[in-house]
Amino acid sequence: MTARGTGTGRRRMTGIVVVSALSAGLLAGCGSHSGSSADSTGPLKVWVRGSGDSLKAYDKIFAAFTAKTGIKVQPYMTLTDFETKLSASASAHSLPDMVIDNASQLGDFESQGIIQKVDASSVPGLSALSPQALSSVKDPKGATYAIPFSAQANVLLVRKDWLAKLHLSPPKTWADVERVAKAFTRDDPDADGKNDTYGIDVPGTTANGYISWWWSSLLWQAGGDYVKSDGGGKYTATLDSPQAISAAQEFEKLACTDKVVQPGMLNDDTTAGNKAFQTGLTGMYLTGPYAFATMDASPVKGKYVAVAPPAGPGGSQTLAEGTSMYLMQGAKTDEAEKLAGFMITPTTQQLGMTAVPTATVVRLPVTPGLNAATAHSDDPRWGLAATVYQKDGHYEYDSLPNWTALRQLTSDDLNGMIAQCAPPAAAMKKLNSQFQAALAAQGVAG
Amino acid sequence: MTTETRAPAPTRTVAAPRRGRGRRALVPWLYLAPALLFFAVFRFWPTAWGIYLSLYKVRPYLGNQWVGADNFVRALHDPALRSAVWHTVVDALATVVGSAVAGFALALLLEGPARLLKLFRTAVFLPVVVSMVAIAELWSSLLFPGRYGAANSVLHLAGVGPLPFLSSPHSALVSVILVQVWKSAPYDMIIFVAGLAGIDRELYEAASLDGAGLLQRLRYVTLPALRPTTTVVLTLGVIRGMRVFTEIYVLTNGGPNGASQTVVPYDYLQATTNNDIGYAAAISTLFLLITVALTLLVQRWRGRRES
Repeated sequence: MTARGTGTGRRRMTGIVVVSALSAGLLAGCGSHSGSSADSTGPLKVWVRGSGDSLKAYDKIFAAFTAKTGIKVQPYMTLTDFETKLSASASAHSLPDMVIDNASQLGDFESQGIIQKVDASSVPGLSALSPQALSSVKDPKGATYAIPFSAQANVLLVRKDWLAKLHLSPPKTWADVERVAKAFTRDDPDADGKNDTYGIDVPGTTANGYISWWWSSLLWQAGGDYVKSDGGGKYTATLDSPQAISAAQEFEKLACTDKVVQPGMLNDDTTAGNKAFQTGLTGMYLTGPYAFATMDASPVKGKYVAVAPPAGPGGSQTLAEGTSMYLMQGAKTDEAEKLAGFMITPTTQQLGMTAVPTATVVRLPVTPGLNAATAHSDDPRWGLAATVYQKDGHYEYDSLPNWTALRQLTSDDLNGMIAQCAPPAAAMKKLNSQFQAALAAQGVAG
Repeated sequence: MTTETRAPAPTRTVAAPRRGRGRRALVPWLYLAPALLFFAVFRFWPTAWGIYLSLYKVRPYLGNQWVGADNFVRALHDPALRSAVWHTVVDALATVVGSAVAGFALALLLEGPARLLKLFRTAVFLPVVVSMVAIAELWSSLLFPGRYGAANSVLHLAGVGPLPFLSSPHSALVSVILVQVWKSAPYDMIIFVAGLAGIDRELYEAASLDGAGLLQRLRYVTLPALRPTTTVVLTLGVIRGMRVFTEIYVLTNGGPNGASQTVVPYDYLQATTNNDIGYAAAISTLFLLITVALTLLVQRWRGRRES
């Protein structure tokens, strides 16, 4: 018994030694990060969140930059787990020089401490950009933390063949939307004898906060907002205002009372939303101008029109988004600023819209005076998108320390409200107090 | 002189085998080294690192902030996590029982050496090898909640529906469970088929001679003989059920209104969308502790039964 006991003990010990040796080796390996930042020499390392042909477009832009300045650029592009990879490089303290990512990352990047404040005077042309685009790169205190590169605003896509069949015109107001949506749902606009069409397309899943992303246009059109600024970078949640409640009521009317939204919308992301519009399940879709290319590659091509978002009681504001350039900590700042300045020249902006027709990395230019419609192969829909952006584009509160978490919170509550067809006023009051608590947790509550 | 030279000899003879034994003891570890190294890099180290992170507010660039047990306290008071745990338990149990019963029924139907049965078994086994993402796409279409969805069209013929399936908080979890049973029942079937093949035919013959009918043979011969197989099926099923991710993530992403949210996708949401890695690590750590505790309990229970 004893002999066996000690034998097992020794074996166990050997095991522990082997395992700890392995772990120690690993610990040493993982602890050996140099702690240095991006190389002070060598090419500019630029990470781009994107995929497919976009890399070709960026390659052309960077080649033009190298030809002009002699500064080499080493791009790295990925869409999968972009932020996770960036986190890994942040913990290794070897960030790239520049990151080109959604404008909505601003607050998150700033609170992580991985981006530099931008000195407006050292990026040529920055102060001449469109005021709206500039507003998207400022933090709550008014400091600039990125350089805008591209912008866009959501427009309403409507099936024109369905409108013609039912003798309707494109909606201009919420009341029109309700009327057209009901007709699209009940009057068999595709004339197949089946009651299988729906008026409105909503990507209503909580994933990536899509339902809040879609509903935000409704919120602003109702004259409401997520927060009001108290000055000094502080905010108070306003999701229980009468306007915000009416935006929630309108959503619930469409989904629960009129039942004119596609069934299954509570689980649908934008891919499913696109599919619903492409396959003739839905007839109206509020989405970004990048959807033109997606829709035109499907049977719905030529069967729809793009119109300005409908006006609610508070106006016709619509969700605006963008792509921004972030100068990272430890970057070769001078060279990165030169690249940023180059990216916002009219020539580069034009190149971004035209270099690769399948990947217009500049959707709407941030530089005033360029014609988006002409640049996008004389497509008047882009002219409309540009007008809508200038007149009614409204960005989300991307500069808050963690807007994604706030958007997620809104999404969870909206999704729950619609799933249960619960009273909107109570749902919004509950959301508002949660939102206020989250603002406080992020240190920006007024 | 002779005695002097002889004297140390016994110690040498004792020492030599000891060294040999030491070397021999090391040999199995050397064989195990590649696997151990693999596990150390991809399992033990990330686990340890996760436990470490659970005690911090994780800030990759600025340096992590020590928060002690805060993340754990928050996890214990998080109503969304609580409902995710509940859904995970319901999902795991229902899927395990559902697949075991369906798998057993399939095994009874399709057990045997005939060529045609082999063909059927292969056909039935297909869902197991198809990627979950593809299955989710397929079932999302089949379970389309409108009147003209595939499943609803069939139900309409029977005068039922249209049912909302994945799109209603009341039926989302049940629908996800059905898809999981559909996918994992054939896996259980294969294990049961192997178990059935191992049962001595003479037992059936003896039972028949004693006048046992079909159901009695099933009850008194087949089921007792399949007890070890059933344990394997249930254990594997529970493990699969506890860590359910892809099914939920792709079919409903936990919705609507969190009605089908389970622990692992919820944890993933905290780490990615909410960028709260410390909190996500705390949830994972709690989950690890619960899993370890459950495993120990099952082992003890089995140990007792065997003794």
